[in-house]
Amino acid sequence: MTTLVIDQVTRIFPARQGHAPTRALEPVALTIGNNDFVTILGPSGCGKSTLLRIVAGLDHPTSGKVLLDGSEVEGPGADRGMVFQSYTLFPWLTVRENIAFGLRERGVPEDKRNAVADRFIQQIGLTGFENHWPKQLSGGMQQRCAIARALANDPKILLLDEPFGALDNQTRVLMQEMLLGIWERDQKSVLFVTHDIEEAIFLGSRVLVMSARPGRIKADIKIDLPHPRSYKIKTSPEFVALKERLVEEIRAEALKVAAEA
Amino acid sequence: MLFVAAWSLATFGGYVPKTFLADPLTMLREGWDLLVKFGFLYDIGMTVWRVLGGFVLAAVIAVPLGLLMGAYKPIEAFLEPFVSFARYLPASAFIPLLILWAGIGELQKLLIIFIGSVFQIILMITVTVGNTRRDLVEAAYTLGASDRGIIARVLLPSSAPDIAEVLRLVLGWAWTYVIVAELIGSSSGIGHMITDSQALLNTGQIIFGIIIIGLIGLISDFLFKAFNAWLFPWKLA
Repeated sequence: MTTLVIDQVTRIFPARQGHAPTRALEPVALTIGNNDFVTILGPSGCGKSTLLRIVAGLDHPTSGKVLLDGSEVEGPGADRGMVFQSYTLFPWLTVRENIAFGLRERGVPEDKRNAVADRFIQQIGLTGFENHWPKQLSGGMQQRCAIARALANDPKILLLDEPFGALDNQTRVLMQEMLLGIWERDQKSVLFVTHDIEEAIFLGSRVLVMSARPGRIKADIKIDLPHPRSYKIKTSPEFVALKERLVEEIRAEALKVAAEA
Repeated sequence: MLFVAAWSLATFGGYVPKTFLADPLTMLREGWDLLVKFGFLYDIGMTVWRVLGGFVLAAVIAVPLGLLMGAYKPIEAFLEPFVSFARYLPASAFIPLLILWAGIGELQKLLIIFIGSVFQIILMITVTVGNTRRDLVEAAYTLGASDRGIIARVLLPSSAPDIAEVLRLVLGWAWTYVIVAELIGSSSGIGHMITDSQALLNTGQIIFGIIIIGLIGLISDFLFKAFNAWLFPWKLA
């Protein structure tokens, strides 16, 4: 079992051309484990993506540290899979080659990595598209492929930065169900950043609400909805009650942002 | 078409004396004589080989260097000022110097093309590689790629089509350098033929030579494009 500890992490972006330095993150302390699906919910610009990038090792905290199973994160690595909001499939590789990219970097022989890739291709419903270029896929298919690419590496934790943000609503709902299905089967720690309240509740076993900049964890809410969840759960009284509560929390933060602007 | 029509009108109509500008038919006849009687094919072959030789030499050195400069900021900071300076040195101005150093043999011709091409390729490739999408590089890092893996399997393939485009462009410029190199101190090549024809006031031959250069450029351009399309199917998909 994997434990991720975020220990008093802050991030201050240095001053630029006469502007004051930006405090993106107040000290954030957080422990994630138990194969939890943790969603981080916050208004735009609250530093939630910055936090995720620090966990991924793509950015460095100004103070504090991130520990994955006791060892400090110093840079990006295969033990933390990341899915970005922008489409980041390698355009010169086919679907299969994209999914097998991480395995290839680690020197896994070709027949073995193709077997793994094909298993994931089946899981995300892209059978028949193995040899397509990313350009030939829809946005939803590309993001499914990106999730498979991160999972094929068998990371200890999966980090997702608003992966469905650019998709239309229908596709988005289907993608949420697919991701939840994979998580229910594979049991893996997940850190999922979003600004969509429904998405945060539907996917999460735990929702963290972040405050407006400078970001800090404002609320930590356990979601006790049963698994497996289907889309129908979104109209259940428990779901609606959670949504109402979170709407209030987020609204307060969004108002603060608006007042500053 | 319009060009040929205007040319015909000017020459056949007698508006321009024949000494200065041959008419199209004379040009073709002179061209035929060149090919059959004066071994012009050999000249063409020499020129093509010089262009390709100097160009390949430049590419072999410039592409890896450009890749490294694009990938590593310190290397770029170290080399960029010199390369930028060297880029503005006109290759043709090196001809007298190169004749002193390397004589008037093949080496001198290759070196002129090399000097004319190498710095341009380096700089353009540095920019191309530096413009690689940041999120692709980050994605590769989170998938466990090492720095070397990033260069070989992200920066290189993602800039490869643009690198090919840079090479196609610079190959065109290399053609200009080779003719200049051949105009001075040469005993073969299209440029040499042109100087000879000038001495004989044979404008038909000169124009034929120029048109041949244009045709070869067009063909090489076409081949390059077809080759790129074949090499990078993902770009067109």
